This record gives sequence, structure tokens and C-alpha cells, in this order.
Amino acid sequence: MTRVRLRWADGREDVVSCDDESVLAAAEREGVRLPAGCRRGFCGTCTSYLVAGVVGYDTEPRALRTRHRRRGYVLPCIARPETACTLRVGPEVVRELRQNPWR
Amino acid sequence: MSDVATHTDGHAHHAHHHVGYATPQAAIEQSEPERVAYVPALYVGTDVDAPDRLTVVDVDPDSATYCEVLHEVPMPHAGDELHHFGWNACSSSCHVEGLERRYLLVPGQRSSRIHVIDTENRREPELVRTIEPESVSEYDLSAPHTVHCAPGGSILVSMLGNADGDLPGGFLELDAEFEIVGRWDPPGEISMNYDFWYQPRRNVMVSSEWAAPKTYQPGFDFADVEAGRYGRRIHVWDWKQREVRQTLDLGKEGLLPLEVRFLHDPESTHGYVGAALSSNVFHFFERDGEFRAEKVIDVETREHDDWEIPVPGVITDLVVSMDDRYLFFSNWVHGEVRMYDASDRAHPRLTDTLAVGGLYGDPNPTGDRPLNAGPQMLQLSLDGTRLYFTTSLYSTWDDQFFPGEAEAGSVMLKADVNPRKGTMTLDTDFLVDFGTLPAGPARAHEIRWPDADCTSDVWV
Repeated sequence: MTRVRLRWADGREDVVSCDDESVLAAAEREGVRLPAGCRRGFCGTCTSYLVAGVVGYDTEPRALRTRHRRRGYVLPCIARPETACTLRVGPEVVRELRQNPWR
Repeated sequence: MSDVATHTDGHAHHAHHHVGYATPQAAIEQSEPERVAYVPALYVGTDVDAPDRLTVVDVDPDSATYCEVLHEVPMPHAGDELHHFGWNACSSSCHVEGLERRYLLVPGQRSSRIHVIDTENRREPELVRTIEPESVSEYDLSAPHTVHCAPGGSILVSMLGNADGDLPGGFLELDAEFEIVGRWDPPGEISMNYDFWYQPRRNVMVSSEWAAPKTYQPGFDFADVEAGRYGRRIHVWDWKQREVRQTLDLGKEGLLPLEVRFLHDPESTHGYVGAALSSNVFHFFERDGEFRAEKVIDVETREHDDWEIPVPGVITDLVVSMDDRYLFFSNWVHGEVRMYDASDRAHPRLTDTLAVGGLYGDPNPTGDRPLNAGPQMLQLSLDGTRLYFTTSLYSTWDDQFFPGEAEAGSVMLKADVNPRKGTMTLDTDFLVDFGTLPAGPARAHEIRWPDADCTSDVWV
């Protein structure tokens, strides 16, 4: 069991225990709703920010550009915690990556 | 709504939803003005933690609830991104095969879940069936987009990616009972996919290209265009053989060819496709057994103080009037609807424009609700006199270009069209505000009518 702390923009925190499963699967099993779309790592709807800890992937997190992945963004739908983790979660997180490409 | 539709050829229909029109002209003559519209309202990617829903909008000016959302059908799960959707049967099918145009197939673009909604009660439709993403990914497909009915009661859905959100996409075929038949096309026949339209009498289908879901779903990045990850080709299929017989490269002028519209005349091989990013309209047609595509409309870029480069119009939707006389399209970023006389197919003639929302249009055209974005999805009344539109394109792209769509929601607006004069006038009394839905501000996308659509019905 690995403990994952989910921190929301309003300061609220949920703590869930991951048992060889994705952060999203653990959260949903414990009744915590996270944003999610494809659930296979390509749409980016669930994008969160890894504040502390290490996560691993069985498949490539296709929705994350390399520069975003390097900055610490992760995909809870396919990310498995390898250590205790703290994630910033919620719909605001993915919007941090949005920019008008021509402005 | 009459319970029995009597046709001019004398035969009456047995039930009120066995709507059918023998020809596009019959649809114009025999249809009644639209009273309800089906429009998806989306919460994916917003601060509202709720499932997307299909809404029923009252568009009957004689109704006490005119311009209001009458009913909502919430999806079972959040995060679908409802987008395009379509009918189980074309309004033409009634005369051909006795099918009922009654069920809406409503895909989740992100979730790959496909919902079936029964509109027997037009004002309070019901979700009756859900095809789960796991059943779809078994066929190595994802990201369902356009739904068209096909001859024989089957239903075809364009799928933009493989199960991993990568290329190639393809087509998923459902039967009349909404069971998955399988993949319609041989895998690898195309790489990118988006919209499609077919003309069965000419044994032809044309499909277009957006990108892999992993490319467009997280958001638009110009580096992906430069890397060739966005489409610029259209594919001409042998409809019966399910094979691509020709691929037409539209080049740099044809980046992101999205909506495909054949003329409604079932014998015609003429059609149009809008290249969203290049902001050009291409006319495709068959000559001497070969299809060709030629650029016939070029929307000029415009300067804007806040933008580093000239701003493209971004043609995101187009509609051909049921009589095939007029072509309308939206410039989502500029904030404009254009109307062209398409009677000379190769030389569309601009007859009118409407500048609302977007970067250059009237930001508050009805006087009581500022717009966050430009006109996007279009739908035209069957008689060609009322043009409706909504303002959201795609959640992640909205957030980049018009973030106000997530915060304040979309609107649905209407222009009155004069087909004699070739003009449009915004109806400033018509406003459907998706910012005021009970669950919170929602994006609004494609518009469909119960009886027939100018953007989906095919005469077999």
C-alpha cells in the first residue's frame, strides 16, 4: 500500500492508498472523484502535478508533452505511485498548460 | 407535431416518428418548422464536476418556454466530451427501408463511450443504451466522432485513433440494434480520420483528417503542425469495397480539413470541405472518373494587436442548404458566419457575412449576453430560412483561444436567412444561454433536428 495525498486548489486534501493500481483507480475505489477522460493516458483530462514522490507508468503518458512531463506533470489515470506521493489535482491543473499558441 | 404525416404522394405514415422525405426538395416542402433542437452541453475540463448531457432546446417561437432548455439527459459518467452525434437512420430511409429515425447516437470524444438516446418522446428523450469504452477498444479504435446511418440499418462512426489514442483511426460499424458489428475498414487503409459523408448512388465516401487523439486532445500546439502531425488530405473511398480509391493532398492550403459536405442531391459528386487552420474551402468533384479538390474560398488572415502572427479565420463548420443553393461556414476565431451562393459549384459567390463574437465580431450582439467565442457549429432549418449556431469548439482548444467558454458557458444564436436575397440578419430576440444551466455554465456543441438535418441526412 502506498499513500497518495491529493491536494485540491481550495486547500482540501484527500489521502488514498494505492495497491498496485493507478492513482485514479485508487481514488475512485475510495470514493474520491478526479477529472478523467480516456483513462488510457492520451487525452490529458486528468493531468495533475507531482509535488513530491515518484510515479511510474506501464505505458507511455502520451497526452503529456516532454516539456510538461519534465516539469512534473503526471497522468493519474495510468500513473502508479512508486513511493508515497503528493499530487496537486483538479481541473485547474491542466489549464496551467494551456496557452494561445499565437499570442 | 402531427401524429400522422401525410405526404403529397398520398400515403400516410403509420407513426409520428416515421418521418421521411423522398427527396431533399420533399424535405423542404413537407417539413414543419423545427420546434426542438438537441444540443450537447459539456462540463468536461471545467470547474463543474458533472457529466456532460444532451439538452432539448425549445426553438418554437410560439412556445412559452422559447429559447429555454426544456430537458437534460445527463450521461452516466463525467469526462465524455460529447461532441458530434447522429441518427440511427436518415430521414430518407423511411421510404426505402422502413427504418425509424428515432435514436440518437451520442459518442464521448474522450471517453470513447457511445450513448444511445431514444427520442420517441421528443421533449424528454431517454438514455436507453451505453456501449462501453472497453467494447470499443477491442477493435483497436478510440475517439468516436461523426455518426452516419448507412444502408441496411447499420450505423457508421468515424474513430480518430487506435485504442492508445495513436494512429491509425478507422470506422466502427454498429447494427440496427446498436451492437458492434466490427471495424468497417481494413486497418491501415487510412491513418488520420475525422468527418465523412457518403453518396451511395455514386458508390463514394469522402473522409477527412484531424490528427491522432493524443495530439489534439491535450490541446493545440503549432509544433505538431510543423511536425506533420495534423492532417491535410481527404480520402475518396469506394463505398461498397470499403477501400480508399484516391487520396487527395490539399497541401499547405488545406491544413486540418474537417467538415465534409456532399451536396444533398443524391446523384451529385460535388461537395465541400473546410480546411480549418488554413481557412480555405475546397470544392471536390468527380471528372472523368477521378476526384479532384480545388481551393475555391480563401479567408484572408487579419491583424490583431494581441497576436504575434496574422490571425486565421479558422473554418470549423460548414453547412449546405437542403436545396444545394447556399454554402454557409463559420470563422470561429474571427467571429464570423459567411453565406455563399454555391449555384456555380466551382465558384462560390459571397452574398453576406455576419460578424458576431470571436476576435472581430460584435461582442454582445443580442445586447444582454457578451459572447466568449465566435460562431462554431451550424445548423440550418430544412427550408433554409433559419441558421442556428453555437460557440464551443473543443474543451481544450476553447481554453487556449477563448477561455471564457469554460467560465461563462456557450450560447446558441440564430440568424434569419433570406434565400431570395442571399442575406442573413441576426435575430436579436433569440438567445439560448448555456451559462445558466442548473449544474453550472456549460459549453454547447452540435445542433440536430428531430426530422432531418442539413448536416447529416443522406439520400440512399
